[in-house]
Amino acid sequence: MSRKLAALALVLAILVSSMGLKTVLSGGHAGSAVMIANGPEPLPKPPLK
Amino acid sequence: MPGPLALVIWYIGIVLEITFVVCSIARKSFFRYLFLNAYFLLELGSSAGRYFFLSRFGQASAEYTYAYFYTDALLTLALYVALISLYARVFGELRLNNFVRYAAVLLLLATALFSYAVVAQSEQRLATGFAYELSQNLYFVGLVLTYILWGAVLKLRETRTRLVQFILALGLYFSGYAASYALVNLASKYSVVSFIGPALGCLLPLMWTVTMLRHSEESRLEPARLLAVAR
Repeated sequence: MSRKLAALALVLAILVSSMGLKTVLSGGHAGSAVMIANGPEPLPKPPLK
Repeated sequence: MPGPLALVIWYIGIVLEITFVVCSIARKSFFRYLFLNAYFLLELGSSAGRYFFLSRFGQASAEYTYAYFYTDALLTLALYVALISLYARVFGELRLNNFVRYAAVLLLLATALFSYAVVAQSEQRLATGFAYELSQNLYFVGLVLTYILWGAVLKLRETRTRLVQFILALGLYFSGYAASYALVNLASKYSVVSFIGPALGCLLPLMWTVTMLRHSEESRLEPARLLAVAR
């Protein structure tokens, strides 16, 4: 049980730090018209923008 | 169709991905690093699909955009699985594989839930927005996970050269993308920034191919030596 709770706490900490990092790097407006994508293909315009 | 520079970067990336898979087979490591190879094979398949839509509908078309982001979400999931497979190799000797799998599934679900919460209010196409948001969020999760894994490698004094180099390459790849993410925000008006993403896409197959060529499975090193502590 404690191991499962530890995993849950770890997961939440990782998620919060990842989204925090994303927000910091996007200058405080996450979801702006920039993207990160796999592979060397030419980038299209992001959807929903 | 895109310009010649974009096409050259694309072709270089494809050649490097094929080279990694061929090197893995030649070095008899294909199944040992199955998920890394599966990622590149999936990337090659998606390249073919993206080329079809690009040549038929053009770069600015909605068809190419949707094809690009749906395949990108799949590729990001594949890269996430590849990263977790590296975790399983590092923590395998500690018999923490079940814990790693449980945490990985939980993290993926939490990221998917968070991404859905972000796009749920959108009035536009929910599926596309979700695929895009999940892909972007998983990148940042991957970045944090890679640095945690590097910390574990140092702490556990992991000595397998290939494994260490694969993790370092992944860290550089994610960090490069994070830096480009910030750069595009700062200087989106310059057209050169549109080439940074595709060029970074060549970085991972290049570094992993060099690792596969230069080091055998038996190669060992001491990552603790990388930490120069001034006293």
